[in-house]
Amino acid sequence: MTHNRWTPRDVEITGALRAHYAAPTDESYWNALEARILAHVARGGEVTGWWSALAEMSRPALAAAAILIVVAGAAVMHSRQLEARNAYDSVISAAPPSVETAARTSSLGDGDAAINYMLSR
Amino acid sequence: MSMPAPVDGSGAATERAIVIAAQQGSDDAFAALVRIHQRRAYSVVRAIVLSHEDAEDAVQEGFLHAHRALDRFRPDQPFGAWLYRIMANAALDLVRRRKVRDADELPDNIAIPFRDPAESGELRERLQEALTHLTTRQRSVIVLHDVEGFTHGEIGRTLGIPEGTARSDLHHARATLRRLLQNIRSSS
Repeated sequence: MTHNRWTPRDVEITGALRAHYAAPTDESYWNALEARILAHVARGGEVTGWWSALAEMSRPALAAAAILIVVAGAAVMHSRQLEARNAYDSVISAAPPSVETAARTSSLGDGDAAINYMLSR
Repeated sequence: MSMPAPVDGSGAATERAIVIAAQQGSDDAFAALVRIHQRRAYSVVRAIVLSHEDAEDAVQEGFLHAHRALDRFRPDQPFGAWLYRIMANAALDLVRRRKVRDADELPDNIAIPFRDPAESGELRERLQEALTHLTTRQRSVIVLHDVEGFTHGEIGRTLGIPEGTARSDLHHARATLRRLLQNIRSSS
């Protein structure tokens, strides 16, 4: 399409487009943008919002959490091993129960004896 | 209008020297390149993205990519053309990311102009909405051609498309805007 086929409306649309896309003209704007561009390049494009601060903290936090988990796991395992060893030692070293104790534990209770007596009559 | 080259014939040698200095690691030289090209770079990316704020982001990303790729640039080539191609890619990448993020929010999230000196005109108000009916490429082509004065060939090289495609996109973009804006009363 060439200019000589343009309608007045085309010219008007182009004028509106130019107004819509007009770049800032203030020199201070460009100075500020230049500074932002150079800062962006200097930090390698990293974002500097609060989320990046969190991201920076997340790596050491994850490492600390991993160490804690390993230490806690080792402590639990050690505690269980100690418990099992104590239980084993107590079984090995315990004296056999006396005859009296064995008889007492195997005898019926008073309630059972009464019921047996009633049933036998 | 000629190819987007802020540095004319007499300044080309100077710019080449600046580019070489920047390639050798001079921060001052790179800052000079930013100063020379940032306005044109802004215009290129502004043609592609939907808002002034996105244009600023794209320009920053574009310069970052250019800085990283600087050692691969051959100083005997026009620096502007190389840079604006990088800028266009940065802007297109931003548009793609915005589309993914805002897929459910478009058209409420569209085109907040940096400033519009004549917002009262119905044409100018409706133009903003009509631009959203163009594809990203059509919008880029019509703005680069009608606003920034790029030729079809320059648009093709900047956007990485054949010249004929740029010509076709321009035709379709104009037809779409004409159709969408035909029933609006004239602002003049």
